[in-house]
Amino acid sequence: MTATVLETYQSQLESVIGAIPCTDALRRSAMDKALTAGLPTPKDEDWRYSDLKPFRTGAFALSKAAQTSDMPIQYFADKPAARLVFINGQFSEERSDLGTLSDSVRLKTLTNHCQVDTARADDLLEGVDALDYLNTALMRDGIVISVPAGVHVTAPVELINLVTNSAKAATHTRHLIELGENASLTLIEQYVGDATDYWSNPVMQVRMGEGARFDHIRMQSEGSHAVHTGKLYVDLDARATYRGTSIMTGAALSRLEITARILGTGAHADINGAALAAPGQSHDTITRVDHRIPGATSEQIYRTIADKRAKSSFQGKITVAVDAQETAADQSFKALLLDRTGEANAKPELEIFADDVKCSHGATVGELDTSALFYLTSRGIDPDTAQQMLVEAFTGDALIAVEDDDLRNALMDNVSRWMQERSKGGTQ
Amino acid sequence: MIKIDNLHVNVSDKEIIKGLNLEINAGEVHAIMGPNGAGKSTLASTIAGRENYEVTSGSITFDGKDLLELEAHERVGEGIFLGFQYPVEIPGVSNLNFMRTALNGVRRYRGEDDMSAAEFMKLIRVKAADLKMDMDMLKRFVNVGFSGGEKKRNEMVQMAVLDPKFAVLDETDSGLDIDALRTVSDGINAQRRDDTAILLITHYQRLLDYVKPDFVHVLANGKIVKSGGPELALELEEKGYADVA
Ligand SMILES: Nc1ncnc2c1ncn2[C@@H]1O[C@H](COP(=O)(O)OP(=O)(O)O)[C@@H](O)[C@H]1O
Ligand SMILES: [Mg+2]
Repeated sequence: MTATVLETYQSQLESVIGAIPCTDALRRSAMDKALTAGLPTPKDEDWRYSDLKPFRTGAFALSKAAQTSDMPIQYFADKPAARLVFINGQFSEERSDLGTLSDSVRLKTLTNHCQVDTARADDLLEGVDALDYLNTALMRDGIVISVPAGVHVTAPVELINLVTNSAKAATHTRHLIELGENASLTLIEQYVGDATDYWSNPVMQVRMGEGARFDHIRMQSEGSHAVHTGKLYVDLDARATYRGTSIMTGAALSRLEITARILGTGAHADINGAALAAPGQSHDTITRVDHRIPGATSEQIYRTIADKRAKSSFQGKITVAVDAQETAADQSFKALLLDRTGEANAKPELEIFADDVKCSHGATVGELDTSALFYLTSRGIDPDTAQQMLVEAFTGDALIAVEDDDLRNALMDNVSRWMQERSKGGTQ
Repeated sequence: MIKIDNLHVNVSDKEIIKGLNLEINAGEVHAIMGPNGAGKSTLASTIAGRENYEVTSGSITFDGKDLLELEAHERVGEGIFLGFQYPVEIPGVSNLNFMRTALNGVRRYRGEDDMSAAEFMKLIRVKAADLKMDMDMLKRFVNVGFSGGEKKRNEMVQMAVLDPKFAVLDETDSGLDIDALRTVSDGINAQRRDDTAILLITHYQRLLDYVKPDFVHVLANGKIVKSGGPELALELEEKGYADVA
């Protein structure tokens, strides 16, 4: 069964050969590796909480390239440095607005990647599992943003990944973000789509030079029948600061795997996120924070919510290498079940080989505090608003790395809207 | 204003209020005293409409309306206020946001427009100053890190903002030093008018020195077992509940 699904993917390879010329050999190698690795099974530790049915019941076709779409897009920055829109994994010139971004940074689509002297197929990660390999083998396009040393891109860059008309079809997008020494960038990344049962399988690679700073918002707001399997790889050099906040509300089945490798002293990674699972949705977040050198810090704050028959899981692994003394790594996970039929799973994992470290983790699963609800309603606040206030307060913890007040409020508005939709939906 | 008739209340399938009668008119202040576990807080929560406090028989009529038909927030709209014995801490929700949402919830229930942020700030500054509460505490999360006395003063600020017709104050005096007791009593007396009524639940006579009740009742084992004037409170202080109830 698995072999035939993967063989179908193999047959899709020829249609993308030549799309990004310098990657052809890499694609073929990745496809071979996908066949060898096989699709994930429930026995794979990282997949124990995810429903594999969408992957095993048949292959997804390759989504069809689409130049444009009239689907509305919610933007978060009033004055962005650029708006970059990808439709079904292909850059849309029509809906994008490059602004003045290319004046200060090197900006290109992945399809043009091979034309640049400095860029080679080596920049692209081949992958670590079948889904990465499929992304590498079948990617159509992506953005390559390279911020030169010392350049601060002050306005946020909005990166929109939109999928449309892709029933049982997959989009594999590959984005590369590179920050030179002491460069800085704010990226607001969104995944959105229509109500078809598409598969979105994006990979983002981030490389941060010494002293670089990256503020990263990642919003997974896919259509309600979608499958989303996102990967994010972040490498931090000395004194680099990564401040990442993921907000997951979309898709029927959603996974986000974040791998941060801390490769330089004085680096700091915030890897935070909120996941809000509506009835029947399944959300998984897997983080791996790898401290390889001494004197770096990381902090993870995850807040997840599961409504009726929804499932929300978090697996967070912190590894501290034997030489990585004076590491401080914290992890906090809290889940809130809005209904008894909701489910939350947490699996923190600490692998610490150094002795002089400060590491902590905590995981709790709870329900809305009935005393707090009564207190709020006893002051004249209606029950829907009271629940919304408590959910906002709960989720707010996960947004603390978003320093810009307006942006944080806009993200919180999405949480409020999620609760308002919920109360409108009644008892579905 | 409020009439409680043969009220029976179960909490977790256990009967706590066992046939309670009480009538309070506009302009009156009543005090309920009684031993621990008598059901005083249960009565207060039932009036406020706490979920899972199951009224098995009897009625509560407020200004001619069947109170038991209304949800908790609707009762506030009708003019009921409960000062909590143990005010709840709500991390992540600021006191100001809480009070403004509450006031606007009540205004919406009454078909009035929301109060603007500026107008609200003007109101809250006055009410907080009356109760000697500084603005910093209003910006903090609801009751988080507040001392016992600060929590009770916060309850009184909320009462002042909502300006209820009928306030049930559940042991608002406990845990207060003498200065705070005076401030809180001033807050209660400010709410005492011809068109309002107040039900004080207390253990101690000392609050009643500052807020003089018109009637005093003893609640024991889920019922009002004795009623009288202010002198009953003094008698209880002297003899304890055992002899009286
Ligand atoms: N949530 C609850 N579940 C079960 N029993 C309760 C609950 N709350 C209160 N009780 C019981 O109800 C009785 C009355 O409690 P309470 O109304 O708090 O008394 P008081 O305020 O007079 O001290 C006590 O026996 C108490 O143990
Ligand atoms: Mg009590």
